[in-house]
Amino acid sequence: MKIIGENIHIISRTVNDAVKERNPRPIQELALAQAKAGADYIDVNVGPARKNPENVSWLVDVIQQVTDLPLSIDTMNPVAMENGLKLCKKRPLLNSASGRTDSKANMLPLAVKYKCDVVISVLVDTGCPPDVEGRSESIMNTVALANEQGIPNEDIWVDPIILPVSGDQVQVGVCLEFVKILQDLLPGVKSTVGLSNVSNGTPEHLRPILNRTYMVMLERCGMYSAIADPLDSELMAINRGERPNIVKVIHRVMDGEDIDLNSLTPEERNYAKTARVLKGDILYSHAWLEV
Amino acid sequence: MDYKAPVETYTGRVAEVVIGKGSKAVKVGGESVLPLHTFEGTIPNMPKIALQTLDAAPPASWTQWVLEPYGDAVKDPVAWAKKAAEYGADLVAITLDSTDPAGANVSADTAAAVVRKVNDAVNVPLIVYGTGDEKKDVEVLVRVAEVCTGEALLLGPALKENYEPIGQAALAHGHNLIAQTPLDINLLKELNIKLSKFFPPNRIVIDPLSSPLGYGLEYSFSLMERTKQTGIIFKDAMTQMPIIANLALETCKTKEAKANRKQGILWELMAAVSLLLAGANIIVVQYPDTLKVLKDLMAGKI
Repeated sequence: MKIIGENIHIISRTVNDAVKERNPRPIQELALAQAKAGADYIDVNVGPARKNPENVSWLVDVIQQVTDLPLSIDTMNPVAMENGLKLCKKRPLLNSASGRTDSKANMLPLAVKYKCDVVISVLVDTGCPPDVEGRSESIMNTVALANEQGIPNEDIWVDPIILPVSGDQVQVGVCLEFVKILQDLLPGVKSTVGLSNVSNGTPEHLRPILNRTYMVMLERCGMYSAIADPLDSELMAINRGERPNIVKVIHRVMDGEDIDLNSLTPEERNYAKTARVLKGDILYSHAWLEV
Repeated sequence: MDYKAPVETYTGRVAEVVIGKGSKAVKVGGESVLPLHTFEGTIPNMPKIALQTLDAAPPASWTQWVLEPYGDAVKDPVAWAKKAAEYGADLVAITLDSTDPAGANVSADTAAAVVRKVNDAVNVPLIVYGTGDEKKDVEVLVRVAEVCTGEALLLGPALKENYEPIGQAALAHGHNLIAQTPLDINLLKELNIKLSKFFPPNRIVIDPLSSPLGYGLEYSFSLMERTKQTGIIFKDAMTQMPIIANLALETCKTKEAKANRKQGILWELMAAVSLLLAGANIIVVQYPDTLKVLKDLMAGKI
């Protein structure tokens, strides 16, 4: 799947300081590192950007000095969004619009104006719909509106919103079910997801295996891309097809096969255990690899 | 044509924990059916009801009608526990309130001596709760474990922060352990996994934290229900421990329970019955009236 590099985000101390000091070096290093690692897009995440909607302009400028990769402008603030989009040399990705009232009103028109691809998430005014039906209803609604404004399905990347497995394990499976039916609901539509969110709240050293396993599961359900960490070399290797045995074991778990864990290598065993948890067969705990 | 109701059978089983030794021993858990589903299989041990006592006379904040059933007995932990046993409690719960560092802060030795006295004086087994102070509880519960060695008490709470020393003492002295986590099924499972690395899983009781109506009863209910189902239906060994609903003190301190005697009893009874249905294997209550209704309910008399 396509990888949108997530590392340039305002929550990172390095990035935040660089932006404040207007020091391009850390930003450009991150952009180059992600490009070298094989990212297809670079996400520029300035968050709500309430106080400084012009920061994004500086970031886009500085990043485009060192890489030709297309950018994903990631903010909830329409002013910051526009600031970012208008400076993009390559066709950007508007990250994101949603089913929220203000987003439909403010973000969709920007996608039309700047003729860019747009991420549309399933979020509604009341938050994230808890089931497949709720997500379907929300996305059909928002995409219909986008189509009416002249945005075709091919330019739309649906975000099903993933929640942390440590917070709401049930939603992890619901998300996979929704992704499976997405092409039937909206033929030709693309998709993306904030992959690292699945491991939010899990001890840091255990996050990568969760992210990698879920990426494989999402891809099998038809996911087109992910906002993820390209600097996780194992993740990128798996994505390039260089770890077929790991992918195979995850697929076997998804198919409900009763696998004898002792027949697997220690590495495969960890991925099998992780897949079982993400599938919902086993109740999550931070110690899931120890059992 | 006769109608036969479908029966679900599960192969997951709640572990059976033995509290107390010899003729005093009381068993909890052991069932492989969902809570009170006697129509689907056997329940070897119906849920047990414990009455709440303290290690010293209760504070002035306790309402008069809570104390009424006990009268002067509340002035002495031994007399109080004996009265609780007389009321038909399957176990007596004693909370070591005076060890609270913010209160009387009595020493571990003092508290342990009281527990020993009470244990030797009553003919039902003891549930011993510290105050929940991470550091003090270690001192206190370790000492209680030593002083009451071999008595198979149910000791707690063992938390994520202090389960190692408390667990080691409970292990060495033949006691059972209450593993307590704050209303989170994933943390509940993790604590049981960590404990089970050195402590026998069939000596662990889960305390997921229980609150009355208005203070989170529905969270306690869904969590208990989910824990029980994960253990019985999905056979997750780390959620198969019996569950304790430690209601008494939480309920009696609410303003709703303090409004009047009838409401006080009802507030507790309502939570107790709900959590019985959710899967509690032990329920700790304040009122002998609550105990009686629960027992009648389980005996099919109501």
